[in-house]
Amino acid sequence: MVNEGDYVVIFNSIHRVMEAEKLLKERRLSILLIPAPRALAADCGLAIRYGEEVRQEVEEVLTQAGLMPRESFRKQGEAFIKIEGE
Amino acid sequence: MDLDCRGMACPAPVVSVKRALETANGALRVLLDDGAPRENVRRFAEGRGYQVQEEVQDGAFALTITGAGAAAVAAPQAAVAKTGPAVMLIGTDRLGDGPEELGRLLMRNFIITLLDVAEVPDRMLFINTGVLLTAEGSEVLEALEKLGNRGVEVLSCGVCLDYFHKKELLKAGAVTNMFTIAESLTTARTVVRL
Repeated sequence: MVNEGDYVVIFNSIHRVMEAEKLLKERRLSILLIPAPRALAADCGLAIRYGEEVRQEVEEVLTQAGLMPRESFRKQGEAFIKIEGE
Repeated sequence: MDLDCRGMACPAPVVSVKRALETANGALRVLLDDGAPRENVRRFAEGRGYQVQEEVQDGAFALTITGAGAAAVAAPQAAVAKTGPAVMLIGTDRLGDGPEELGRLLMRNFIITLLDVAEVPDRMLFINTGVLLTAEGSEVLEALEKLGNRGVEVLSCGVCLDYFHKKELLKAGAVTNMFTIAESLTTARTVVRL
């Protein structure tokens, strides 16, 4: 479900990821709530996927709402490269 | 046996090949367009333990599929059991009892996760609010298309689509009727009901 170059962001609670999805959907941004890829062990098991074309807008909306993800990754080949996070 | 799948949209080529392999004796030769149909059929057949040979023919690709396949190897063990498809009946757009919002989220999560599971069902039957998952606006259309490309038959109850005014808005798989649903359930090798 994650294609080359896609971004995958993980939150530290189910409530935060659901709130983030709701907010981004209200803005009609092309994002998808997906099960967190197994390689990225996440507590809540869910992640939000989006493409480069909406990246800036997605990140602005999340930052303004105080819903920064715990970790952000980008798919490159078979690997997920960490962009931000602990 | 020859099969012409040129001009078919995904996942129709995989579904046609799967059906043909169930009845084919010996080699199956399939004509396919380049791109997704060719790749999906090759992946599907190889995943089931068949050998695939390719050649170019009139601008299309001819795949010759040979071998017994993994299903045939497992057949003797299943001889006493029913031999029909492994069916998943999805009678709701929610997984489990509890808050609606959580149930919907879990169902989406479940269907997308099926893509990572080794043994996918042969057929997924969507009834009642389950058809909301196969119609426009569903969040799992991409996942259902990918499952279709792996040979999963995605079928939605026509009456249910009609009830929800989604008849023209089916976006994954095909429409089915109660006869096929009843027959699938009574002949199934296994049924998982959600």
